[in-house]
Amino acid sequence: MRAVRREHNDAVGAGRRAIALLGAVLLAAGACAPATSGPGPAARGGTLVFAIWQEPTTLAPIYANQTVATVVNETAVEGLLNTDTNGAFYPVLAKSVPTIDNGGVKISADGKKMDVTYDLLSGVKWSDGTPFTSADVKFTWETYLKDPKVVTTEGYSQIDSVDTPSDTQVVLHYKTIYGAYLTRFTGIIPRQLLQNVPDISKSEYNQKPLGTGPFKVTEFVSADHITVERNPNYRKPDRPLLDKIVFRSVPSREVAVAQLKAGEVDGMWNLLEAQIPDLEKDANIKIVTTPSPSVERIELNLAKPADPIADPKVPHPILGDLNVRRALLLATPKQQIIDKLLFGKAKPGTSPVSQGWASPKGLAQEAYDPAKAKQLLDQAGWAPGSDGIRSKGGVKASLTIVTTTGDKVREQVQQILADEWKAIGIDLQIKNQPSAVLLSGSYSAGDPRKKGNIDLWMYASSPAIDPHSIINQRYTTANIPTAANGGAGQNYTRFSNAEVDRLVADAGATVDQARRAKDYADALKILNDNVPIIWMYDRQLLDAFRTNVSGYKGNTWDNITWTAEDWSIRK
Amino acid sequence: MGHYVVRRLIQAIPLLLGITVVAFAILKATPGGPLAAYEANPNVTPEDIARLEHALGLDQPIPLQYASWLGHFLTGDWGYSFATSQPVLSMVGGRLPNTLWLMTTVYVVTLLIALPIGILTAVKQYSWFDHLTTGATFAAFSMPTFWLGLLLIITFGLQFRLLPLGGMLAPGAPFTVGDLARHLVLPVATLSLVGVGTYVRFLRASMLETTNQDYMRTARAKGLTEPRVVVRHALKNAAIPFVTVAALDLPELFGGALVTEQIFGWPGMGRLFYDSVTRYDYPVLMGILAISATFVVLANLLADVLYGYLDPRIRYS
Repeated sequence: MRAVRREHNDAVGAGRRAIALLGAVLLAAGACAPATSGPGPAARGGTLVFAIWQEPTTLAPIYANQTVATVVNETAVEGLLNTDTNGAFYPVLAKSVPTIDNGGVKISADGKKMDVTYDLLSGVKWSDGTPFTSADVKFTWETYLKDPKVVTTEGYSQIDSVDTPSDTQVVLHYKTIYGAYLTRFTGIIPRQLLQNVPDISKSEYNQKPLGTGPFKVTEFVSADHITVERNPNYRKPDRPLLDKIVFRSVPSREVAVAQLKAGEVDGMWNLLEAQIPDLEKDANIKIVTTPSPSVERIELNLAKPADPIADPKVPHPILGDLNVRRALLLATPKQQIIDKLLFGKAKPGTSPVSQGWASPKGLAQEAYDPAKAKQLLDQAGWAPGSDGIRSKGGVKASLTIVTTTGDKVREQVQQILADEWKAIGIDLQIKNQPSAVLLSGSYSAGDPRKKGNIDLWMYASSPAIDPHSIINQRYTTANIPTAANGGAGQNYTRFSNAEVDRLVADAGATVDQARRAKDYADALKILNDNVPIIWMYDRQLLDAFRTNVSGYKGNTWDNITWTAEDWSIRK
Repeated sequence: MGHYVVRRLIQAIPLLLGITVVAFAILKATPGGPLAAYEANPNVTPEDIARLEHALGLDQPIPLQYASWLGHFLTGDWGYSFATSQPVLSMVGGRLPNTLWLMTTVYVVTLLIALPIGILTAVKQYSWFDHLTTGATFAAFSMPTFWLGLLLIITFGLQFRLLPLGGMLAPGAPFTVGDLARHLVLPVATLSLVGVGTYVRFLRASMLETTNQDYMRTARAKGLTEPRVVVRHALKNAAIPFVTVAALDLPELFGGALVTEQIFGWPGMGRLFYDSVTRYDYPVLMGILAISATFVVLANLLADVLYGYLDPRIRYS
């Protein structure tokens, strides 16, 4: 099952910062760990301890809204399909991936509806020994529609009805053409166990979901550990290799790193780029580096900042000028920031979709060229004053940037930008806010991006394998938060372009992947030409193991645990 | 005496109610909310948010939400966590033993060390021992626990590899007292050192106040041995301010140590509170706040009752 990725995960939690100091000290001190055994042949059996620095609140696929929940539960819960690291879907509980070409997807005669047929593996059992059938798939759909606590009904409410012609075949009748149909049913839930449960969220299933995967969840001790053990009913007789994985809850990334170095844990989830150089020095640790769809960016408010909410029709007095936006981009030394602050472990950003089939090839942003930036500003009539800061028509080019407080790398980036932009005559003030405020994504909670009461803001966000929802939410006119729509939508920059709106709508109404990819590429080209966003760098997925662990593999579109059945450990 | 206790308990009811009102209002006034994390998920639509708000009762007016919480709480129904859907009572119940393990050990160790040192440092005022203790205790209670904890982790966990870096039990291993004890050493040392510093300072100051009292001279004049003078006369009188401090620390046995539990990954109440704050998990926070407030009130009452035992001149009316 796929990770639920969102910018929230990239933000450092408020309290974790309180003990961020711990990180630096522990990292330094851990360097004196004694050497242990080197790599060995894959062995069967054994227990692996894996550190997670966030705790899942639930492991049920229907409720999970945290990446860490999928890190743990995908060892036990399976879906119909999954995504490999190249972004290609492969069958898990299904026999094949339904497409138009193989007849799995049938578009109605009027072109407005579609049916998707999944043929399921036969003989699959839930870990309690009961058979997995098409009725479970139907029950999963029904639960998404009727349980008021599911995380989203997106992609399920678009289905009108579900037929189960046989135990191994399920037909989904969609009300519309739903392009992202392959991304749903990533966690099937057991009908036999849950059909008579009045509130699944309050049942044992919430923390110990029954699945068909290589492991089964046997223990969930809050703030301490979650144990998954070999599923005796798993369909592959030679998997999993491990007997047990203990997911240990630790309070922060830094603690996880220290415990990894000390050998108290055998692997850990989700490092930061800045932690790499130190870990690389440790011969007992191997870092798994995987390209991630997460893109660090600086977004520019095209509307005049206002409280309680900006009016998209009133342009920003400074950033409303394309020349200023281009100048800021030209004066942003992406490569220098990557080399100095991220130890070269990232690539300069070019678009919001950095990975997968929808990633536009050859799309770029203008490269660092401060001389050209000055020239643009001169031509546009932004004249330097006595203090070197430019102004035009009585408006001084002074901007404020916001990012998440306590994030060291982001704070350093801000310092560099303040210097660089000052050199071209633009003043940059820094005023950071806690991630819970800046990235809340909630208008009522006062997310300044939703309100549009700030100039510039820096954070990271990643699209799902199907980028439609994020492109639609972030860059189309209908999704600009306004007073009229009560702050709904995530088009924080207030970017509005009729051609982009048309292209994105077109992409959403077809299952033709080539056409969709071209629509997105064209739309993102127009977006980049207008520079509402500076794509800073493409981030990486970073996990680490001790060298006596083998069999793991990174996946751009999934968590490191996607191949946990192949993991083995030599003690 | 019985009347006094009953009256104090009755007086505590409006106080506790007031505390829960203020706590609820503050929680609701903080920016963000339990659904903020969902809103940041691009797959979640505004309709999903509205549905979840309704499912959690967040679409109700705030006074009504409070009344509903209070009504259930009073009947013993602490509600369900917004984040985990688990009953708050069982979440608290799961953490309370862990915190009791930690904090009771800390409390006992702190008292066992602080009492003799505090008495001795006062009895031997201006001796080298007193100077040394004064210096050391000042350093100890000025030390932030997060820093001290780290120092101990680095030294004994990473450098010398003597003790585990965190957690309460070795991951995946069955429960043994020895394993628990090993994990207890560093967090207990961290909290006790700071606690000992505070207690010794208090005890020394109040012991010194008694040394010039007339009854001390009388006791010595009666021919009592010095240890008897110190324990029966000096210590008993000096104990009143000390008991206040010690009794007021009692609620920590249940509330846990927020920072230390966080640093050592101790699965206790402090960490539950911290995690619930980051998740805006109002039902859990309200449950913890209500019970903490109750313990504070009870500890105050206990301190007052103990005064009467220690000083018969104090009368309750």
